[in-house]
Amino acid sequence: MSFVKCCFEAGEGHDFLDSFVQKCTDPGCCCGCCSALRPRYKRLVDNIFPAIPQDGLVKTNMEKLTFYSLSSPEKLDRIGEYLFQKASRDIYRRRHGFVIIAMEAMDQLLVACHSQTLNLFVESFLKMVQKLLESTDPQLQILATQSFVRFANIEEDTPSYHRRYDFFVSKFSAMCHSNHIDKPTRDSIRLAGIQGLQGVIRKTVSDDLVENIWEAQHMDKIVPSLLYNMQTAEKYDTVLCMEGGAGEEQPARLAEACLRELVGRASFGHIRSVLRPVLTHFDRHELWIPNDFAVHTFKIIMFSIQAQYSYSVVEALMQHLDAGGNRSGDPRDYTRVRAARAAVLSNIVAIAAADSVGPSVLEIINNLLTNLRASVARDSEKETDEKLYQEALINALGEFADHLPDFQKIDIMMFIINKVPSSQRANKGTKADAMLQSILLKSLLKVGTTYRTVELSKAFPAAFLEALLRLGGGAGARARTTLQRILHTLLDRRDNAPRLASPTVEVCELGLIVEKCSRQDLIFFSKHGYALFSSLYEGLQLESNTMENVEAIYTTLALICIELASEETVCDIMQLILAIQQSSLSNPVLSVAQQCQLQAISISLAALLPHVMMHTRLTDYINKIIAARREEAPHLLPPLQEDYDDLPPAKMPNKLPYLMMDQMALCDLLKSHGVDVTRLSSTSPYTAGNVALPHRHSWVEAGAAQGRDSLAEITAPGTELDSANSSPGVQRANGTASCVSLEALRRAAGGPSAAERRDAERRRATLNNAFRTAPFDHLLHITQPKYEIKDKLEEIFNSISEEPLLPGSGACSPAAHKSYTSAVPPYTKYFPELFLY
Amino acid sequence: MEDYKFLFKVVLVGNAGVGKTCLVRRFTQGLFPPGQGATIGVDFMIKTVEVDGEKVKLQIWDTAGQERFRSITQSYYRSAHALILVYDISCQPTFDCLPDWLREIEEYANNKVLRILVGNKTDREDREIPRHIGEDFAQRHGMYFLETSAKEAENVERLFMEIAVELMEQAKCKELPKYDGSLGPINGKTTSVGDGSCCLRS
Repeated sequence: MSFVKCCFEAGEGHDFLDSFVQKCTDPGCCCGCCSALRPRYKRLVDNIFPAIPQDGLVKTNMEKLTFYSLSSPEKLDRIGEYLFQKASRDIYRRRHGFVIIAMEAMDQLLVACHSQTLNLFVESFLKMVQKLLESTDPQLQILATQSFVRFANIEEDTPSYHRRYDFFVSKFSAMCHSNHIDKPTRDSIRLAGIQGLQGVIRKTVSDDLVENIWEAQHMDKIVPSLLYNMQTAEKYDTVLCMEGGAGEEQPARLAEACLRELVGRASFGHIRSVLRPVLTHFDRHELWIPNDFAVHTFKIIMFSIQAQYSYSVVEALMQHLDAGGNRSGDPRDYTRVRAARAAVLSNIVAIAAADSVGPSVLEIINNLLTNLRASVARDSEKETDEKLYQEALINALGEFADHLPDFQKIDIMMFIINKVPSSQRANKGTKADAMLQSILLKSLLKVGTTYRTVELSKAFPAAFLEALLRLGGGAGARARTTLQRILHTLLDRRDNAPRLASPTVEVCELGLIVEKCSRQDLIFFSKHGYALFSSLYEGLQLESNTMENVEAIYTTLALICIELASEETVCDIMQLILAIQQSSLSNPVLSVAQQCQLQAISISLAALLPHVMMHTRLTDYINKIIAARREEAPHLLPPLQEDYDDLPPAKMPNKLPYLMMDQMALCDLLKSHGVDVTRLSSTSPYTAGNVALPHRHSWVEAGAAQGRDSLAEITAPGTELDSANSSPGVQRANGTASCVSLEALRRAAGGPSAAERRDAERRRATLNNAFRTAPFDHLLHITQPKYEIKDKLEEIFNSISEEPLLPGSGACSPAAHKSYTSAVPPYTKYFPELFLY
Repeated sequence: MEDYKFLFKVVLVGNAGVGKTCLVRRFTQGLFPPGQGATIGVDFMIKTVEVDGEKVKLQIWDTAGQERFRSITQSYYRSAHALILVYDISCQPTFDCLPDWLREIEEYANNKVLRILVGNKTDREDREIPRHIGEDFAQRHGMYFLETSAKEAENVERLFMEIAVELMEQAKCKELPKYDGSLGPINGKTTSVGDGSCCLRS
């Protein structure tokens, strides 16, 4: 046999000897002479082959060959070449046994040889591998892959510039998609394909000189091949099943491990080239719905990626949210896909959050908000899928915020609230604006929920609080509820909110957790308490309020009671409670139901306050009223009802003055507890009715937001209010024609004079009180304009004083003139302040 | 054995079920597999043919027609020397999709790639696309045209042989370095095909 071979081989000889042998075409050529003439390496190689392939590699001869190649490494390339030729022929003749032996020998040589000399041998080795891969026999393909993997694990120290792997990538990818009829064979081919890809990745990824594996032409093959194998797994085991040798027998597992490795090795510049095929694959194979696999895959990516790059995955997915719209015909499907993508996003965004820093955080938030806005813009009300999408985005926002440190959450909330369309615009603006507003508020709520309030002043920076309160006025009923929920979640430090969801007088049974209010919180309250209260108060005066709104505001107020109740604040809270009670009787826009609801919440709050403060006498007083109401007017007690239709006129709240809390009595009781009640005994600063005006000038706005600059203008709203209130019946009835009731007419006919007087009084009181209670900033603001007056006065004084001077004595000494002018300012300078007090 | 002079990569594309795999099977293995399942991803075959006494090795990449594998199959276009665009003469929709395929080829393949339009399944009785329609289309888009039947082994051999001949012509007239066995297939781009005049029908 061997001599037959030798004659054949001669064909492609290299050296002189071979060319000599070539001429020896006679098959009968003597064997001995032939082999004697053959170069030594050929003889050594021939000898490792047994007579029949079943015997396997001739071990002793293999050792000889190894020894020879080690001692004369310069022959390695020829050995490789020769082995390859032999194997090629054996493949051609389908003598697979010999092929396997040749491959085995090559493997052994590869492992035994030193790396410096390996380079040339590798060429023939890889040619051999390719040859085997080209055959249609699965067995040979698998064998070749195993050899290739063995090779891939060898660290070469000399770079090989001209080596290319594109065939291997192509072929291994094709193997990953094997569709062999026999399932075990198919699995093993696929497994081999994945192993091969893994080998290519290992071989190339660390060496920039070889081949750039990250190029699209490779990644477009590798990534889909891995994903295809992963997606065929019956179920996607939850993440982190990286280890476990037994599991790697399955293509899916191995593909997953390979993907992890690939992603883990990707540098920042390369992440995109991995992600793009991933996203395309999900689009193509329609794997977004259901999105289990997408979530699974993206989690794998997030967990394997180098932490500092995880942000770019989020970014890529976010940019992909809207992609591919033109492909699928049905827009409904498309929306659903988008929703599913957003859901995936919300699943992974949390993983990124921990490692996101600086601008990337706001970038993500901004991106999410932009997507939300886009969604709202194309929203067509009835589309539930679009809603799902929005929900998913909001969830993503929440998830993301949840994993950020608290100080960033506040920043984010500030950021979001600045994106909310202003209330004025929402009022007259489009439906989309209102929609966007409600969605952004929902997002805000989501973020707020993740925030754990420690200090109120930290949770409510002035600008944030102001923005929140300003929104409260203009928004629709639903949005207002959401707004209150935001307040709840930020105010509620002790998880009392669920217990205070609806008003009750049985405060003892609620099991509230009350702690003493801290100094910082009191400072916060003294700064912002009034603004907060008046906003809430006004919130209660809107005729568009539903029961839900009232309850939500109740919860907010109750939480404030619990969080902020102290000797210093009790008067303010009590004052507000009385104002609410009063407004229920005097505000003409409120329906009967709203009146009763206000009564109910004011009594509930009144019951809560002494419970928190542990003022027993106050409790007794409130309990007395409660008991009396229970007897005569249970509708003035919680729980709230949607409507109080069957109420006889005699039971109207304003017909039952003896069931009201009395300001004087409360003053006395509080005084007996040693509380300074001067503020309570004065008239309430809260004004009813003015909120009904389209052009609203509350103190908050006048002072803080609008920045009206003169005292004259601050008093101006009062006159405006007067004129509006003097003819309330006509104007309001016109405005609210839809809800005119007998009751409203009666109110309009009988009420005005008394109510009006009270209003005027109250307004005056507001002004007084403002100077007493408003924060220093406001006062400063208010006093500032007076310098204008001062300047005016000064001007006038000057002109008056100068006029007689000039004609009188043209040669008047400048010194005298100066002394005069310098004498004037002290008056004018101190005048305003004197005026103030 | 490894003495081939040229190595060409041929990629088959076309809608699902037009018979790409059957064409390849018929050519490489000489058999017609009845009930051939849909190809997944991409399949690979090799065949060495002899042209003018020189051995030419054809690497044939048989792609899946299904839409969902489009992204992976596209990645194979790039390195192709010849693209065989197959449609089913008894199925109008597969013909209607040809412009889409051309767009895709335009986008992903080398612009000098040799393009061949193949109407397969001539053995079928229910022909929907007359021969001249296919011819016209091919001419308009500068493609070679051939009608084949993998089942009857009609024109299959000729298809691949003509590709081999044409590619070799191009390679030779460009006088590009021939594929030289000693460099090994790992050297990747072996013989790149020049921009021969593909507009003429052979």
